[in-house]
Amino acid sequence: MFEKLEAYLEEISHFLSGREEREEILSEIKSHILEKAEQEHGKVTEASIEKVITAVAVIFTKSFLVFPFLFVPRMGVFEAIFYLPTAFLFDLGLVTLILYFITRSKKEIQLPWPKFAVDLDEVKRPRRLILSGLGFVAMLGLTGLALVLYIRYHAIFFVNLNFPEPRLLFTPEAGKWFSLAVIATLAVGTIALFVKLFASSPWVDAVQNGISLIIVGCFFRLPLDNAIAISLPGRFLHQIKLSLIFILFFISVVVAVDFVKSLVVIGRKGLAKQRQER
Amino acid sequence: MDPEISNFETEMNRGFLSILVLALLEKDMYGYAMVRTIGDLGYEVEENTLYPLLRRLEKNGWIKSKWNVGEDRPRKFYSITDAGRTLRAELLGFWKKQDKILKHLVKEKSHV
Repeated sequence: MFEKLEAYLEEISHFLSGREEREEILSEIKSHILEKAEQEHGKVTEASIEKVITAVAVIFTKSFLVFPFLFVPRMGVFEAIFYLPTAFLFDLGLVTLILYFITRSKKEIQLPWPKFAVDLDEVKRPRRLILSGLGFVAMLGLTGLALVLYIRYHAIFFVNLNFPEPRLLFTPEAGKWFSLAVIATLAVGTIALFVKLFASSPWVDAVQNGISLIIVGCFFRLPLDNAIAISLPGRFLHQIKLSLIFILFFISVVVAVDFVKSLVVIGRKGLAKQRQER
Repeated sequence: MDPEISNFETEMNRGFLSILVLALLEKDMYGYAMVRTIGDLGYEVEENTLYPLLRRLEKNGWIKSKWNVGEDRPRKFYSITDAGRTLRAELLGFWKKQDKILKHLVKEKSHV
C-alpha cells in the first residue's frame, strides 16, 4: 500500500462523519486517486500519488473554525497536536505580556470583565421574575407560532403572507434547515427563561449561550449559495448573503460575550464559596 | 469572469450536470471515468461537484451503485434506475421546451 495515500486517507477521515458512510467515501476517494494517478501519470507510484493528492487535497480537506473563538487551518492530526497547544500558549503569553507592561506602568486598570468579576461578591443581582415571566410568555408564543408554521409549510421564512399559500423565501432544503435552526434557538431561549422563573443560576445562561453558539456555528455551515427561492439580480443576492453573514457574526459575538461573562460569574462564585468554607 | 455571470453559469450548470449524469449512466460507469468522459465531451466537471451530486442522486433512488472488485482495482460503478429514467425523461422534456423557446426568440431577434 502507498504510504502517502494511507496518510492522506487517515487525515481526511477525521472530517467525515458516520462510520459506514465514511468507509464508503474513503474507498471511493482511494479508488479515484489510484485511477487518476495511473491514467494521468502512466503508473501508480508514490510520486504520482503525491501529485494527484496535491491536486485533490484542495477538494476534500477543509479548514474549520469554532466560531468565534478559534480558527484551525487545514492540517494533519500530528500537526494539530503540536499546533493547538503552541497557539494557545502564544495567545496566552501575548495577553500576559500586555498585562505585564500595563501593571509595571503603575496605571490603574479598569478592564470591564475582571472588574465585574471582582465586584461580584459585593453586588447582589436582583431576580427579575416579572421580566422573566413576560419574556417566557412572549418567547413561548413565538416558538409556538414558528412550530405551527413549520409543521404546515416546512419553513418559517416567506416572501409574502398570502396564507394558505404563502411564497417561500428559501428553497425547500435550505428553508428547512434555516427554519429548524431558528426554531431551536427560540426553543432554547424559551426553556432558559422558564428555568429562570424557578432558579437563578449563571449555569442557565452558560448552557443557553453555549447551545446558541453551536446553533449559530451550524448556521455558518449551511450553504447560502442558491438558497434563495425567488428570482433576484445577482448583486441583490450577493448583498443579502453579506447581510446574513453580518447578522450572524453580530449575533455570535453578542452571545459569545454573554457566554464568557457567565463563565466568569460561575468561576467567581466557585472561588467565593471556597473562601467562605475556609 | 464577471461574478454575476459566474453565478448564472453555476445555476445553469447545476441542472445541466444532473441531466448529463443521468444521460451518461445508461451505461454503468465509475466516478473517474465520468470525469474523463465529460471532459472529452468538452465540458469540465470537478470531483467536488460530481461526487456530492452522485451521492444525492443515489440517496433519492435515481441512480444506484455497486462495487466491482473483479478487476485489477475496486471501482464503484453507478447505473441509472427506473425512477432515474423517468426523471431524465421529464428533465429532457423541460430542456427541449426551453431550448425551443430560446431558439425561437434568438431567431426572431436575428430577423429584426
